[in-house]
Amino acid sequence: MSDDLWYKGAIFYELHVKAYADANGDGTGDFPGLVTRLDHLQSLGVDCLWLLPMYPSPLRDDGYDISDYCAIHPEYGTLEDFRAFLRAAHERGLRVLTELVINHTSDQHLWFKEARSSRESPKRGYYVWSDTDDRFRGVRIIFRDTEMSNWAWDPVSKSYYWHRFFSHQPDLNFDNPAVREEIWRMMRFWLELGVDGFRVDAVPYLVEREGTSCENLPETHEVVRELRRRMDAEFPGRMLLAEANMWPEDVRPYFGRGDEFHMAFHFPLMPRMFMALRLEDRKPLVEIVERTPEIPAPCQWGLFLRNHDELTLEMVTDAERDYMYAEYARDPVARINLGIRRRLAPLLDGDRRRIELMNALLLSLPGSPFLYYGDEIGMGDNVYLGDRNGVRTPMQWTGGWNGGFSTADPERLYQPVISNPVYGHQAVNVERQRRQEDSLLNWTKRIIQVRRSTPVFGRGSIEFLKPANHRVLAYVRGFGSEKVLVVNNLSGTAQAVELDLRGLAGAIPIEMFGRSLFPRIHERPYVMTLGPYDFFWFKLRWL
Amino acid sequence: MSSILSDDLLSDLMAVGQVDVLVGLPTLNHAGSVGPAVHAVHVAFDRELARERAVLVNVDGGSTDGTPDVVRDASILDHPTLLASQSLRTRHRISAPYHGVPGKAAALRTVFAAADLLQAPAVVVLDPEVASVTSESVAALARPALDGEADFVSPAYARHPLDGLLVTQVVRPLFRTAYGLPLQEPLAGEFGCSGRFVSRCLEEPAWETDDLRLAVDLWISGRAASDGWRVAEVGLGPRRLTARPRPAVATLVPQVLDALFTSLRLLEARWTSPAPASPHLRRCSRPAVLPEPGTSVDRGAYPALFREGLAALGGMLERALPPSAVAALRASAEPDVRVSDELWRSVVLGLAAAHRHAVVSRDHLLRAAVPLYLGRVASFAAEVSGLDAGAAEERLEALCRHFERSRGDLVALWTAPAR
Repeated sequence: MSDDLWYKGAIFYELHVKAYADANGDGTGDFPGLVTRLDHLQSLGVDCLWLLPMYPSPLRDDGYDISDYCAIHPEYGTLEDFRAFLRAAHERGLRVLTELVINHTSDQHLWFKEARSSRESPKRGYYVWSDTDDRFRGVRIIFRDTEMSNWAWDPVSKSYYWHRFFSHQPDLNFDNPAVREEIWRMMRFWLELGVDGFRVDAVPYLVEREGTSCENLPETHEVVRELRRRMDAEFPGRMLLAEANMWPEDVRPYFGRGDEFHMAFHFPLMPRMFMALRLEDRKPLVEIVERTPEIPAPCQWGLFLRNHDELTLEMVTDAERDYMYAEYARDPVARINLGIRRRLAPLLDGDRRRIELMNALLLSLPGSPFLYYGDEIGMGDNVYLGDRNGVRTPMQWTGGWNGGFSTADPERLYQPVISNPVYGHQAVNVERQRRQEDSLLNWTKRIIQVRRSTPVFGRGSIEFLKPANHRVLAYVRGFGSEKVLVVNNLSGTAQAVELDLRGLAGAIPIEMFGRSLFPRIHERPYVMTLGPYDFFWFKLRWL
Repeated sequence: MSSILSDDLLSDLMAVGQVDVLVGLPTLNHAGSVGPAVHAVHVAFDRELARERAVLVNVDGGSTDGTPDVVRDASILDHPTLLASQSLRTRHRISAPYHGVPGKAAALRTVFAAADLLQAPAVVVLDPEVASVTSESVAALARPALDGEADFVSPAYARHPLDGLLVTQVVRPLFRTAYGLPLQEPLAGEFGCSGRFVSRCLEEPAWETDDLRLAVDLWISGRAASDGWRVAEVGLGPRRLTARPRPAVATLVPQVLDALFTSLRLLEARWTSPAPASPHLRRCSRPAVLPEPGTSVDRGAYPALFREGLAALGGMLERALPPSAVAALRASAEPDVRVSDELWRSVVLGLAAAHRHAVVSRDHLLRAAVPLYLGRVASFAAEVSGLDAGAAEERLEALCRHFERSRGDLVALWTAPAR
């Protein structure tokens, strides 16, 4: 684990401790349960686990409302359990990212309780207060479905406090040096335990200034730089990942000169991958990648198909959003905020060929891929559970009791296991897919292996080929002397394509899954045929 | 950059697809001698390697005697004593010309490139002049790599200690001194290796140099020894060559010495390193020591040639070798030629360093080495004449050990500034 740029070649796996495996039979997943499933993650071939919030919390926002930064939620185990998990993960070569939710705390955090108790409280300055609710006027409200204002009235101290998310999540005041010191102390606590980095939540909103959008302010960047500087000095090789749901050109400043975040999610790419697939047209995908700015060499984009949130449609035009709703969320119950609360498999109608193609895109476009737990077996969702809980149901390990997730009575589970005939645990589970050679699980293991066989995908450049057939998305990834040609058929029908590969004349394409040889590339157009949703990855050799 | 593989060969390889074993057979006008090797490969594919996906790739340097046709047309049915069983798989054999300057290096590069493309985990290279090749020996060279137990598989032949003297008196001891790997046959034209080893070899820029043309066999075994690869040695029984005119000793000695010294030069960064890779050798089976030699040492002519050479080439040797070595050589010429292990070690190391630093014309140096070699051979033959084969074999091992102890001297001579 000595490569400081490890995250550039890594495959990440996002999971929720409560949803993964329950060892003590109380109906909620926990760290001892997660330890028993590390072998699954190791055999899947992922490199780094990203754990959703695991801290004490009233759980009014699935743990993003933290009431104690330096402890483990009692339902998930103890700090000692966490240590044992971290040790076991590292022994298997798995790194671990945890959540750094620093824009706000829960209103049940001791800091807030003290702050609201008196205007003279030493903790008062930890939050953003006002006697009126007209400061920072015009700043957008993010959770428009539930919040009417970014200010909430505190009846205890009889003043307003600032919150960009739910009103039970008061924003911390990063203008206060004591807050920054508390945050660093908390980070150091987890880094000393051995965590390999943090996924930093809601980055753009850390600092507020009158007359601005209160997003992406220079002062926010200064906070990030300070934390990064301190982390690098004491814990080299650890990583910071930004959650900033914005256009790539707006995210770009968060990489700084390589002195802010190591990684940031590429939010606009994700919906365009789904759009390109449904349109059977490469245009939206090529456009967004081509408008993505260069980032400093040590930095990396994080790519994903699905995660614990809705398929966000914030970074699309109105026309694009209408199209996405029409194609992927005809049933309005699947819509939430500005997005669609579905998992990957149901979004793609359970079509194995489309699931494979989307994963192949995820793993071959520039960036480090993030897989969401359960998507490796094509788990379904339950949109009727409210909020985004439908994509956070228990992991389906077996076809037996509670899908092998817990020995508790089903009524006691934190959420019901998916049980319908199509996506239910009887039909979709790890145990079954482990034993079926052609299962999605085994296919996913294989494609991860293939991706890992070359550094090109994690670290290489991309050059799009633009054949006349717009249904075919083709690009060349290059790193040093290595080159990989990727050809995808975005359509549900067989396609022929002529690729202009003159710049690669003399190369022999070797299909990377079966290692079959294809005819040498010459100056003339290279003709290929692809079946519905087919894709090829070719390693190019000059021999 | 020109392609290593022609489009026709690539097309043949595409038809074959991924294989488990690739057997390479480099040829150049071997129509009369290649038959046993092709036959052994076919039998191995049907018997010892029946379950493996296998292909024979004959790369030809432009034979004018119809060698490729012989390889293509050779049929297992030509040998009625053989198998009655049907092969499980389609038998693949490819015969194709290779690109580049004719020579073993270009041929091997083509074989390696084909193996790399087909992702063969095991590769066997055969020597078309070895008539004693059998299906068992093909399988023995393939098996350690197939089983993932070795990356380079070197043969060991059953020999009498007076056979293969150029190998036992020069190549083996000096190879062992440089690399610390006690291989019996570092110069063998047949060997096995893993796909991983092949891929790494292909990445080497040395292929683009002319130096590799003659030195390729020793360069490959030297790479295996100096890079810490897992090396296996398998006993293959007596080695019998096909009946073809062989070069005279006056031609052969300069060729082999040139190859040996050149290979050391190509790999000098590895073996002169203060912390060279530790070699790993596993002996799968030890060859027998044959009781009678297959060839004889001319103990009448060799001493005379040694003395004549010393007298005629003394000036050049004085420039190439340490004065003490030249004096000792002169003293060793009378009354009977007696070149001790220590003197021989000093001569061989001196020749190697002189070749490295080109203190005299390399061509002249190599020719001057011929009489010295003949003197040593005559001396050694006289010394072991009263011994049985086992005891004589122990003398060869003692010679190697003596050489091996002077690794520091070799590195010092090699890396010293040229005189």
